Amino acid sequence: MEKAEFITKIEGHGSLHFNWGKNKVWLEVAEGERLFEGMVVGRPAEDLYWITPRICGVCPIAHNLAAIKAVEDALNIKPGKSTILLRKLLLDAQMIQSHTLHLYFLAAPDYLGLDSGLEIIKTHPVYFQQALELKRISDLLADKIGGRGIHPMATAAGGFRKVPSIETLKMLKKEAVKMLLAAQGTFNLFSSLVYPEVSVNLNLFSLTNGKTYDVYDAKYISSNKKLKVRSENYQDIIEEKIKDYSTAKFGYHKKKGMMVGSLARLNLQGNLLKGEAKKLFKEALVDFKNPYHNNLAQAIETYHFAAEANEILDILIQTGIDSEATSLPKDLKPGKNSVGVGALEAPRGGLYYEVRLNTKGLITRCNIVTPTVQNLSSIEETAQIVLDQNRGQSKERIQDLLEMLVRAYDPCITCSVH
Amino acid sequence: MRPRLAIFDFTDCEGCEVALVSLREKLLELTDQVEVVNWRLAQKKADDGPYDIVIIEGTPVTQEEINTLRFLRDQTKVLVGLGSCATLGGIPGIIDKEKRSFWYKKIYGKDYKPRGIDALPLTAYVTVDYSLHGCPVDKKELVRIFEELLVGKAPKGKSYSVCFECNLAGNRCRLLDRKICLGPITQGGCGAVCISGGLTCFGCFGLREEAQIENLLETIYKFSDSKEVERYFSTFLKKTPEYARIFKETKKTNGKS
Repeated sequence: MEKAEFITKIEGHGSLHFNWGKNKVWLEVAEGERLFEGMVVGRPAEDLYWITPRICGVCPIAHNLAAIKAVEDALNIKPGKSTILLRKLLLDAQMIQSHTLHLYFLAAPDYLGLDSGLEIIKTHPVYFQQALELKRISDLLADKIGGRGIHPMATAAGGFRKVPSIETLKMLKKEAVKMLLAAQGTFNLFSSLVYPEVSVNLNLFSLTNGKTYDVYDAKYISSNKKLKVRSENYQDIIEEKIKDYSTAKFGYHKKKGMMVGSLARLNLQGNLLKGEAKKLFKEALVDFKNPYHNNLAQAIETYHFAAEANEILDILIQTGIDSEATSLPKDLKPGKNSVGVGALEAPRGGLYYEVRLNTKGLITRCNIVTPTVQNLSSIEETAQIVLDQNRGQSKERIQDLLEMLVRAYDPCITCSVH
Repeated sequence: MRPRLAIFDFTDCEGCEVALVSLREKLLELTDQVEVVNWRLAQKKADDGPYDIVIIEGTPVTQEEINTLRFLRDQTKVLVGLGSCATLGGIPGIIDKEKRSFWYKKIYGKDYKPRGIDALPLTAYVTVDYSLHGCPVDKKELVRIFEELLVGKAPKGKSYSVCFECNLAGNRCRLLDRKICLGPITQGGCGAVCISGGLTCFGCFGLREEAQIENLLETIYKFSDSKEVERYFSTFLKKTPEYARIFKETKKTNGKS
């Protein structure tokens, strides 16, 4: 027997299928069903943010925090200032971890003519050092704030089980400052690459708060087609479809594909960037009709998140972490059956958690919509457009272009099947 | 000739592969000593076997994955399970086989044709030469096992429990505070990272050899009930024979009485 052939250098098991005669392409997802939304039912609220980060080893912090926000919403818990700052710092670390992994390890080989991200050390040692530095420091931040680089345990509804000491924060600041140079180098690399050209009328969606370039404080779902809806109404915006060739659902908005993630965020919040990140954004001339530019967008964002991590560390060092951050609620039981929604921007885009708790604090219902569920619809539509726009090219060239396209979206197939 | 190494993943979160990448410089040092001939997450190169070492992350959930697992077993000298999904059934194992069809209908609708069968550890289907537990795996353990395999040693898990490392980390024993903890029966190697982070131990490193489960349960039942204890055991250990022995049998007896 043969092993199945999947697209390499993406998270999870997906494959492109073609009907060359009819000029059709579709994206199959073959991950086994994971049933997380069923797994947590009957378990206490705190299990939600312990179990569901296992949906994704690349963005577990995003899942952890979105789940916590949903539980807090159901219980009407309002976390304090320090808690929110620490969570934002943790989410910055998550963004840098994920973007670095994707940019250097998965996407860059396409553009540098390499087979594997591991080869960059030999061919482009300077770039590789930048990648290592970003990975090392973002892992360190995740470790010291969340308790571990992957699958955090220090976070909780209402605050943190443990918080870093002032000495640790100072140490982190000394390291975090080094990310700026590496992020600048990353921008230089990804703004110098030649991206395939394609023009697509993308439907871009991002969670926004309208005031700052924010990924944690997700008040609204905004789109480049002038949509602005409160994030708890996500189900009105995203319609999930079942396809017989996929164990992941595909998310559509009004029957059209949705693109979420870095490119969408820059499109909808880019004018809210500050300082150096704003300059890089202006300089880069991001093409919002070209999904390959998502890689460029990730590089710009990496700088922004590195800068924000530094700012937050400065504030925390100056003001200290208040004791409220570690005084957790005694139990997580609502007075009556309650529903909560938690939303935030994960590295790949809007992530939504909805949880229903009974008076014993047990989960009676859970719904999760991941960014890649939304992106799958856009990937498939755009793949068709790239196929149409490249008629006459060899099958090999088209397959390469389409694999690069899938990779540019940075799909997390494991997240899409949850 | 350098040993031919291949890394595969089944249904899972890929966090243990991310841990592998997080080794950074050390990963390069290690992969320099082998020829990585197949690793979907990292490279296009995907050579067929036979292999010297195959590392498998994740749980084989679909028939296709189970077939691939059996096929890979025949193709390799050494087979290593990477992370608790592969070694214990772990988090995916929380869902019982009988409950799957209910959740398929609930989550995917009644017309959906499911592919998943059950979420069991690799050992349910093939012989595994070494099980590297953890959710995720510990980076130091990852390096140790890798290095031992490369010099042709058969790696072994830690013989001591998480308690030993928890003590070294300076944590106060949770049991003394009447809080459930599976540390005493769980294989060490994690450095008691969860307990140090303010959580408890859910046993993701698997049961240690000669684990004194009854003794621990006796202590825990002094301040907790079986439903709460089951919650702890069912997080990572639901597909272990010990879980079946403790909880399925208690349920039966409860039902009769």
